[in-house]
Amino acid sequence: MRFHVVKRENCPLWKKLGMYALAVAAALVLGGCLLLAMGVNPLAYYGRMFTMGMVGNKIAYKAFENYLKVFAPLALTSVALSLAFRMRFWNIGGEGQFILGAVAAATVAFKLGPVVGEGLTLVLMCLAGMLAAGLYGLIAAALKVKFGTNETLMTLMLNYIALYFITFLEDTKADWNFYLDPTSVRPIFGRFANLASFPKIPIGKFGLNICVILTLVVGVLVFIYLKYTKQGYEIAVVGDSTGTAHYAGMKVGKIVLRTVFLSACLIGLAAAFKVGTAGILSTNITDDVGWTGIIVAWLSQLNTLAIFIVSALISMLHYGSDVAAATFSQVDSSFANMLQGAILFLVLAADFCTRFQVLPVKKEGKNNGNG
Amino acid sequence: MAEQYAVEMRGITKTFGSVVANKDVNLGVRQGEILALLGENGSGKTTLMNMLSGIYKPDRGEILVEGKAVSIDSPEDAKRLGIGMVHQHFKLVDVFSAADNIWMGQEKAGFLLKKDRYNQIGEVAKKFGFDIDPRKKVRNMAVSEKQTLEIIKVLYYGAKVIILDEPTAVLTVQEIAKLFEVLRRMKAEGHSIIIITHKLNEVLEISDRVAILRKGEYIGTVDTAGTNEQQLTEYMVGHKVDLNIERPMVEKTRPLLEIRDLTIRNDEGAVAIDHVNFYIRGGEILGVAGIAGCGQKELCEAIAGLRPIESGQMIHKGDNIVGLSPKAIIEKGIAMSFIPEDRLGMGLAPSLSIVDNMILKNYRDSKGPFVDRKAGRADADHVIKELGIVTPSAETPVRRLSGGNVQKVLLGREIKAGPNVIVTAYPVRGLDINSSYAIYNILNQQKKDGVGILFVGEDLDVMMALCDKILVLCYGRVMGVVHAHKTTKEELGMMMTGALDLTNKYEDKPAGIARDTNFAPDTAAGKEE
Amino acid sequence: MKKIFALILAMSMVLSLAACGGSEAPAESESQAAESQSQAESAAESESTAASDFKVGAIYINSKNDTAGYTFAHHNGITKAMEELGLDVNTQLVIQDEVLEDYDQVSTAVDTLVSEGCNIIFGISFGYMDAMADKAEEYPDVIFSHATGYKSNETNFNNYFGRIYQARYLAGIAAGLKSLELGNNNIGYVSAYGTQYAETCSGINGFTLGVQSVNPDATVYVKELGNWADEVNESAFAKELIDTYNCCVIAQHCDSAQPQIAAADAGVFGCGYNSDMTADAPTAHLTAPIWNWNVYYRTAIEAAMTCGGAENFVTAMGGPAYYGGLNEGFVDVSPLTENCDPNTQAIIDAVKALIASGEWDVFSGTKLTYTVNEDGTVTVNKTAGALVTNDGTEIVPADGPSVEDGVITGTMNYFVEGVKAA
Repeated sequence: MRFHVVKRENCPLWKKLGMYALAVAAALVLGGCLLLAMGVNPLAYYGRMFTMGMVGNKIAYKAFENYLKVFAPLALTSVALSLAFRMRFWNIGGEGQFILGAVAAATVAFKLGPVVGEGLTLVLMCLAGMLAAGLYGLIAAALKVKFGTNETLMTLMLNYIALYFITFLEDTKADWNFYLDPTSVRPIFGRFANLASFPKIPIGKFGLNICVILTLVVGVLVFIYLKYTKQGYEIAVVGDSTGTAHYAGMKVGKIVLRTVFLSACLIGLAAAFKVGTAGILSTNITDDVGWTGIIVAWLSQLNTLAIFIVSALISMLHYGSDVAAATFSQVDSSFANMLQGAILFLVLAADFCTRFQVLPVKKEGKNNGNG
Repeated sequence: MAEQYAVEMRGITKTFGSVVANKDVNLGVRQGEILALLGENGSGKTTLMNMLSGIYKPDRGEILVEGKAVSIDSPEDAKRLGIGMVHQHFKLVDVFSAADNIWMGQEKAGFLLKKDRYNQIGEVAKKFGFDIDPRKKVRNMAVSEKQTLEIIKVLYYGAKVIILDEPTAVLTVQEIAKLFEVLRRMKAEGHSIIIITHKLNEVLEISDRVAILRKGEYIGTVDTAGTNEQQLTEYMVGHKVDLNIERPMVEKTRPLLEIRDLTIRNDEGAVAIDHVNFYIRGGEILGVAGIAGCGQKELCEAIAGLRPIESGQMIHKGDNIVGLSPKAIIEKGIAMSFIPEDRLGMGLAPSLSIVDNMILKNYRDSKGPFVDRKAGRADADHVIKELGIVTPSAETPVRRLSGGNVQKVLLGREIKAGPNVIVTAYPVRGLDINSSYAIYNILNQQKKDGVGILFVGEDLDVMMALCDKILVLCYGRVMGVVHAHKTTKEELGMMMTGALDLTNKYEDKPAGIARDTNFAPDTAAGKEE
Repeated sequence: MKKIFALILAMSMVLSLAACGGSEAPAESESQAAESQSQAESAAESESTAASDFKVGAIYINSKNDTAGYTFAHHNGITKAMEELGLDVNTQLVIQDEVLEDYDQVSTAVDTLVSEGCNIIFGISFGYMDAMADKAEEYPDVIFSHATGYKSNETNFNNYFGRIYQARYLAGIAAGLKSLELGNNNIGYVSAYGTQYAETCSGINGFTLGVQSVNPDATVYVKELGNWADEVNESAFAKELIDTYNCCVIAQHCDSAQPQIAAADAGVFGCGYNSDMTADAPTAHLTAPIWNWNVYYRTAIEAAMTCGGAENFVTAMGGPAYYGGLNEGFVDVSPLTENCDPNTQAIIDAVKALIASGEWDVFSGTKLTYTVNEDGTVTVNKTAGALVTNDGTEIVPADGPSVEDGVITGTMNYFVEGVKAA
């Protein structure tokens, strides 16, 4: 018997959510079997993971701050990527754009931090991060518009260029390299937290980083931008049918350039938030948000609100499993990675099942031609 | 039946949804003959042949191969029964060599590619009298070479019955002559050949008999020797059917849109529109008739500013619109609605709602950075009500609507914008009768309002009833402009197939040149002469 | 279709289970976990700490389940030290592993460990330094101890590293004797880096001085990987040193045993690093400079448990920078194999004793030569000899004092005479 995949019309929302829940549950059961095999009580482990170790924790506020540190860059990067994805521009260069944004923001902090005030430095860091990342994203967009190159490959390659660039900065001890700590003989990035650091709003002991608020604000703005502005409308039309966009008199090339620039800009903003909070560069600054963001955007079906929810869940998984791995000495963080992978994998499978169904091919039925 | 056919189809009926593609068709091809299958676009020729080659299965009727009833479920079955088809769009792998393209279709091709496959294929080609380099990559081949390769492929798999779907459409005159030579030789070797075409001169030149389809129905089969172009055209287009479409008389104004000496190339760089002249007055519907792919699409795109032109002028109310952006052309009041074969490709964003599609062309007009959906929603509600669009709501994505409603949305939007020129191509494509009439009414209403309409159509009956004048295109060239109420279907058919050229019917004024032009000759002539 | 996915997934899970390598410790029950946690919290506040309440935290760069390499060496050291001190590794050791060198990630890991009630937190990677320094300030009740770095404070934050150059000097003796025996003066050295890092540079120099103390004509050819871990080039560079430079002994400063395996394949000899690599290349291996991390960890944990408050830790450790060597047993050479020259053991023992006595160190204005007595004992002869770089600059004049520790760990960026870049 042969099978073929048929598009499913209109999967109701409850069914979709049920499928996702089932997928997550299945992944947890699989992980639970493995935990049992390692002699760990799965319920205890999962309890620890989903509460992210905050229950009975004297410094739970710290844990929540750390959780937000994972969440905010991921959410903002996913939102940014969704802008380009809506136009069917597959920007998988989030990593590279993030790195360039981070380097640019750090440059401003080092060079202007001592000259202008902290507040202005932070604003300029954001602008520099956005500009650098935006221009970096623009390379792939311009080549696509001009020469029809494949943006997927192009942005992918640019990721590695950016990664090697920041590694070069980290490894190269030289007079010009102001990113490094001058007091260290061995090359290591220098701190600039004393020059510029995003303020926290104290709520009791808990300090709410202003970047988290800004991330939410940007999310709302992007939502409005996509839904209610002319430019957002253009993105929707170009994403749906470039032929129609041309026909409606839209300058498709310009729209692609503008949107990709904006997408990359927001990734640069996420990077500026990140370095402005950490106060130091690192070759691992992205924490893989450029990759995870793709999955988040996809799972959320590019819906801005859903992106925030999914980012929150993925961050919980990410951070919670690290915490749980500390409590249970048998389980190392590769287990956490595997569990994350299993959940994502099954959720994507569930997503496939909500969009398509697999039916056996009837022998006589070959009526699927067009008129 | 007394006569033994190589392949015979009896009472074949095939429907796609509500559309009847073939209705009770009978067709037989003898051994060692060339049968031409003649018919207009959409008359069901390709569908019929696809059933022979195993791509579709008939809903009713039977297929006999050498007198025995067979069931052809797949192209493999057809191959086994000795039926091979050369499709209009070649099914070749560009990066493979000629030999590999043939070789890879074999069930016994084996796991390894052996060097001797080049010799084997080369020998087969030689045996059939073809000169082809088995090592040549398909991407380096000319169109005629690719076609030859397709024919060799079919022969290699032992086809006795060979179907060629519009083989001459892509060939030059010399190549056509060469192809016909091949066909005659194959015929002499006892092969049966079915050739799909709508070029009458070719039919007369190459075929032994001609089978005619019209709107999916089988009209009959005649011996080529005993027929002529006139008769074939009559068979093909049929007698005029009175459709009861209203043709209101409207006082015509001066030309709104004039096309002068326009030449356009298609995506492949071939000339699609060849020195074409015509004009549209306000309050007039100018039909454009022609076989599919004769430059209609390129013409529409050029007028809408989507396709650069090679040379010539397009004058709107006295202003040259050549080189203007699509946006500027929209702003001038020229609306274009082109319904492509997939219906949704141009003019609509299928995933967006009706409201969002309504504002496609005027979303820029609102002030500030935001889209004014309020106006769009009002427009949508208006159009839904006015044109009777069946939809759950104005927020429904367009792709969820049925074909007629999709087309109404498209036309409704164009009309809503209050254009002075409407270019509409195939607006009733795929629609049922009622929806079609609704569309005709919309167009007539526009005409009464003084809009100039260019109507690119397929159905000659409709065009003769609806249009004021009809311009006939044949492979990019104008064959003449005729008054719809004075012409006959036969005349139009002859012009479409290139058998009749009325461009110089009036010596003083070639077809398509307006007397009372808006068009200042000094600016126009400056470029060309 | 989903079934197949699930099947693949299940298979991959089973495989990863196998890779986890049987850490079959019994499950910690929930109540136990909660209990030990609350205990640990109160412990963090109390001045003196009972052994059963004491919690050790560790931040690793790679997986705690690694079976070789840098993280493995430290993990081994910590667990061994805890066992020696009677601490339960399963309940009293809390680990955050696979923590990358990123300020935020390290900070988060520290927070997690602190919330788990750790009294002392070890960070093993250089790039953890800034985050640990800041966290030491934030949590004055917790002790922070950072390997390979140079930052510290006066109370609860120290750093630690070892005089591996001493062990390398000893390995150099073994290599030099072997080259004398073979009559080939070319010795190869595959190193992660060269003069950029004092760590690699001092290692190369220590080794070379050891070689030249027995074979003054020998040359050490150094090939730099430009990377801390690169198994492919580790092997390729060793082969190149053997084939192109005709080297008869291959020493190394990199994680894997690839250079030793390459030496064995080519029929020459070698000195490993980090751990005894005899098992990897039995026919080639002479000896390897090795780390006994447990020596430090035992000292540090002991001090942390007895110092009476985190603020006293640095004082209890005798200073903010722990720099143990042969004397403490922190570094050593692995047991000599039969591939070594018969006199090697005696000479190494003599030098060890000399270093242990504190009379002499490797980087100084005094050179050693050895006389093997008839009864097999060795007499070490000290002669004045300047420490000179390979471009002729004098670093320490003849009979001059030893180079300061800060230079060896921080600013040494020259090769001594006898080193050639390959």
